[in-house]
Amino acid sequence: MLEVAGLHKRFGAVEVLRDVSLTVSPGEVVVVIGPSGSGKTTLLRCINLLEEYERGTITVDGEPIGYRIDGRRARMSEREIARARERIGMVFQSFNLFPHMNALQNIVAAPVRVKRVERRQAEARARELLAMVGLSDKAAEYPIRLSGGQQQRLAIARALAMDPKIMLFDEVTSALDPELVGEVLAAMRQLASDGMTMVVVTHEMSFVRDIADRIVFMDGGVIVEEGKPEQLLFTPQTERVRAFLKRYNDRYRI
Amino acid sequence: MKEFGPLIHSFWYLLRGAGMTVLMATSAIVPATILGMLLALLQVFRGRLVQSAILGYLFLIRGIPLLVLLTFVYYLMPLTGIDLPPFWGVVLVISLYYAAFISEVFRAGILSLPQAQWDAARSLGMTRGLLLQIVVLPQALRLAAPPYVSLCVSLVKATSLVSIVGLWELTMASREVVERTLAPFQIFIGAAAIYFFICYTLALYGRHLERRVVIGH
Repeated sequence: MLEVAGLHKRFGAVEVLRDVSLTVSPGEVVVVIGPSGSGKTTLLRCINLLEEYERGTITVDGEPIGYRIDGRRARMSEREIARARERIGMVFQSFNLFPHMNALQNIVAAPVRVKRVERRQAEARARELLAMVGLSDKAAEYPIRLSGGQQQRLAIARALAMDPKIMLFDEVTSALDPELVGEVLAAMRQLASDGMTMVVVTHEMSFVRDIADRIVFMDGGVIVEEGKPEQLLFTPQTERVRAFLKRYNDRYRI
Repeated sequence: MKEFGPLIHSFWYLLRGAGMTVLMATSAIVPATILGMLLALLQVFRGRLVQSAILGYLFLIRGIPLLVLLTFVYYLMPLTGIDLPPFWGVVLVISLYYAAFISEVFRAGILSLPQAQWDAARSLGMTRGLLLQIVVLPQALRLAAPPYVSLCVSLVKATSLVSIVGLWELTMASREVVERTLAPFQIFIGAAAIYFFICYTLALYGRHLERRVVIGH
């Protein structure tokens, strides 16, 4: 489904991703954890080509994202990149809803204008999605009138409206009040059980355990360790993961 | 009331002058806005070279008084052999002049949108044109609306300068009437009132437009 191979990315002199390779199978939920500054978010943003990368390849369903891989490496055209992005849904830490559109308009904008879905059909689908994330009665509300949790669920619905093959979640609960985190995680759980392929960057460790098919631990721009949740969380192989988990447990044991 | 006799007598004449002022201002606002928007987009999206060229233009324009520019072009025109009717010559100069200021206002509006809005639109597969059209510009224009309307008001008042190069509009009409009637205070109070009315209407309309854009469509 998703294949990242030999990814290199630098911001100026800082190498933020060093030879990162990752394969995600259809229906699989891969959770990326690690300390801040480890390159998790950058990895997600590269997959969607919101960041350029210097070396390596990223393919979704065998089709390259961002750079042509046959022959010389060349950046794809703006239009080709936009088409590639249609297949990848992304949800952001800060929601990034369009403030000048109401909930329904936020969802239908891209299907109607990008995919040329007929408006009536797109709106019917949008209402289904709103129901799915528990916002049926909010179709006409503007984002500013919604709580953080509601905004984030709307953002999930907006991404799903493009019928993506894979969904990327970038610390989607980090900006939420603790009591609102649950409703967003519930929506993600629902999505995972419906068989969506997902790459999730998160700090919600309790959530990691019950949603992840596989956990990837990143630090310093490399994948340090990956494995099944119970294996990585309870019998980590590397010192760095052990140290990370210990710090985490110390902080949250009340 | 007797003192205002000259004004009442010539009021129709002044209104015709005002008509010319409005025509001139509108003829300039439209191209100035289009060019301003174009310059703003070029500045945001094009490379260094285009950016510095536009920046040079902005600094040049901002550093020269409109009156000087109008007079300069007035004397330059015959030498270049370009045979433009004075009305359009003046409209051209005012348009080019105000386009520089308007472009800065639009550019500020575009740049003040958080990067996150661009990311969200891109991640939904929008191309640059679409993203501008449905995500960036609707929000940027709302931000830019108040200073943009101020510039339009300023442009209306700037048309009063063209009487210096012999074009007939409200200020020129007023001066003619003053020469005939020797009643400068009454006539210019009338002219000021008419200018105020035009600008006030424009500002009110701007407010109305702004409110409409805030809520969405």
